[in-house]
Amino acid sequence: MRPWGFRRRVFGHRRFSDAVRAPESNIGYLSMADAVPGKKYTVVGINGGYILNSRLCAMGFVPGETFYISGAFRGGSRCVVIKGTKFAVGRGMAERIQVREI
Amino acid sequence: MKLREVTIALSGNPNSGKTTIFNNLTGLHQHVGNYPGVTVEKKTGIIDYKGYRINVIDLPGTYGLTAYSQEEIIARNIIINEAPDIVVDIVDSSNLERNLYLAVQLMELGTPLILVFNMADVALKMGRKVNINQLSGLLGLPIVQTVGSKGAGKEEILKAVIELLGGEKRKKKEIKYGEEIENEILKIISALEKEEIQTFNLGPRWVAVKLLEQDTEIINVIKESAGDRYSEVEKTVNDSISHITTVLGSTPEVIIANARYGFIKGALLGSYEEVESVKLNGSDKADRILANRIFGIPIFLLIMWLVFQLVFSLGKYPVEWLEFGFEKLSVFLTNIIQNDLIRSLLVDGVVGGVGGVITFTPNIIMLFFAIAVLEDSGYMARAAFVMDRIMHKIGLQGKSFIPLIIGFGCTVPAYMGSRILENKQDRLVTMHVNTFMSCGARLPVYILFAGAFFPAYAGNVIFSIYIIGVLVAIIMAKLLRATRFRGESGPFVIEFPAYRMPTLKGVLIHTWERVWEYIKKAGTVILVISIAMWALFTYPMIGNNYSQDYEAQIEEIELLYQSGEITIDDYDNEKSVIEAKMAGERLAYSAAGRIGHFLEPVFRPLGFDWKMAVATIAGIAAKEVIISTMGTLYSIEDAEGQSESLKVALYDNYTPLVGYNFMLFTLLYFPCLAAMAVFRKEAGTKEMLFQMGYTLSLAWAVSFMVFQIGRLFS
Repeated sequence: MRPWGFRRRVFGHRRFSDAVRAPESNIGYLSMADAVPGKKYTVVGINGGYILNSRLCAMGFVPGETFYISGAFRGGSRCVVIKGTKFAVGRGMAERIQVREI
Repeated sequence: MKLREVTIALSGNPNSGKTTIFNNLTGLHQHVGNYPGVTVEKKTGIIDYKGYRINVIDLPGTYGLTAYSQEEIIARNIIINEAPDIVVDIVDSSNLERNLYLAVQLMELGTPLILVFNMADVALKMGRKVNINQLSGLLGLPIVQTVGSKGAGKEEILKAVIELLGGEKRKKKEIKYGEEIENEILKIISALEKEEIQTFNLGPRWVAVKLLEQDTEIINVIKESAGDRYSEVEKTVNDSISHITTVLGSTPEVIIANARYGFIKGALLGSYEEVESVKLNGSDKADRILANRIFGIPIFLLIMWLVFQLVFSLGKYPVEWLEFGFEKLSVFLTNIIQNDLIRSLLVDGVVGGVGGVITFTPNIIMLFFAIAVLEDSGYMARAAFVMDRIMHKIGLQGKSFIPLIIGFGCTVPAYMGSRILENKQDRLVTMHVNTFMSCGARLPVYILFAGAFFPAYAGNVIFSIYIIGVLVAIIMAKLLRATRFRGESGPFVIEFPAYRMPTLKGVLIHTWERVWEYIKKAGTVILVISIAMWALFTYPMIGNNYSQDYEAQIEEIELLYQSGEITIDDYDNEKSVIEAKMAGERLAYSAAGRIGHFLEPVFRPLGFDWKMAVATIAGIAAKEVIISTMGTLYSIEDAEGQSESLKVALYDNYTPLVGYNFMLFTLLYFPCLAAMAVFRKEAGTKEMLFQMGYTLSLAWAVSFMVFQIGRLFS
């Protein structure tokens, strides 16, 4: 539940190109919110706007990068170790990052 | 000898040790300000070195130079607009790949660049060796290795800066993004050239890349300068984006980012050796407890309780010493100054006003000390994460909790503490609702009123006021989020830096610069406001316009005393009663008293009379002044929080409903002038006026409803 959906208003402006990627529809991919500790994953794609994508890339969340989960929380928040750095990722964010188990 | 002026800018990822390096470079020769119009801290400093005067700008810590956050836009704009002679990029040696991403973006900007590989000792311990010479050659950039936390590296960095200033320019490395992207870049460049669109000093290639990345800032700048001519370019860009997306299966900004990492990986290959794999075990274990979803919150609350104790319980003693000192100063001034007016100005206006603000200094020192320790140790990021889910429900974020708790002690450090929030919207909403966290200065008012009207259950009544404050804060946070501060609440991604022992030097510098800023404020703006408030309560002077001839009455009792008819105690009592009546009349005659009368119709619907109106105005100076003002107006000498005669006077003159309502009003309207001065400093005049306006309206509306509805039942 988001308070009055303000997040959606901001990052809800999806682009036409999302339809091209549509990673949700690809079987075998899951969102980071479903990733669990003890396994290795790679980033497949990010389902955000241009700006959010650029930001996440700068933080090291680029397609092809491997990572593992160091802490999982009910609801989907995750502690992620990627490119040698630990990040806490909120649920809303984790759901936008498509990953694949390796 | 005249020093040659140069400017360098420090950039770097958050947690790269940039601040430590900045402190090592400049020591205490620092200046902290705000970037105009935004609430991002701007730090600058000066070093004199070998015939150069080096101005150092500490850019905000960022991961990249996109248009994602205010910090990133500011960092980029400074590099573009202020064109520092050299940018020094601080890189965490134990995490080269990600840290070099920013370096690559700086390279693309074409600015003269030095890389500082910081914390080289940590990296070596983790088994990571870098061949600096080889990497430097591959990147085409000078690289300096330092150990930031040990105070070393200053000489090496400055040497490299001077060398680069004198030396010849190295050949610029250009990053290739792969054939598809390069083709589209060429198309966009030719479109830009065809339409003769200015790319300033940025170069068409860089602009083309930014257009492909859909960088909102750059698009706006180009649109503004090019006007209609941009539409052709826009078409080309859109075609390019959809072409790239179709062919490569991903949007350009992602492909470009991948290409940058590819470039970094290529450069690191062969010049970088990772002996062991990544080790984060120590901090993983700590996080299993500190960032745990069950234990995390109680641990955080415990730490907050400790901070609160440190700030207010331990801070209480130096505050008392300062209060004592100012009291002595007042007495001293009262004794040596003959002229009534000047004495009143200095004692009541200057010492009373500025002293009242300076006495908060120990609290502020403690608060910023605690925050610096929490931040430097790496815990703050965990706290933000732990509290985020709860705080998000009311439209704030995890870190907001810290200034809000501090607000129960004093709103001034609470406003300043809001700086720990990076996101501007989050920071402003947190500040705007912090008012309702009932501060310590309001408590004596509650004690007086609750004691006067509800002596049997004063504690519960006061508690209810605090709870109402918290509820109002929650409602207002949601409301502000949905209206004025809609949007951009950063989706939650935060780096968990490795736990580190904070250095004393770093913590002290952090604390000092903020405290100094606060003291400067007290010396300037607050001085002026204090004098203005004093004038308001002093002029016009009553002269001989008292309703009775008090002078004669005093003479009369003096005669009685001299003739032995009354004792000295009776004489003193009688005299102070008369003097209290005079003070009351003087206040009623002053501008403040008249404003009170003038505003009475506004306060009537709340059940307040003109005396309460005057007390409300006095409360703007500081909330505890409300009590002494009510005392003066009811001609009660030495009115303090527990004054029985004042309680009786209040009980005789107002109903309990009005009493409760006055407490509510005191809770809801903006805290005090010191707080407002800090608010303005932190958020600008516009936000301060908004804060004052909306809290006043809210206080009025709530009190109006409570009084009008309450009246129906009584």
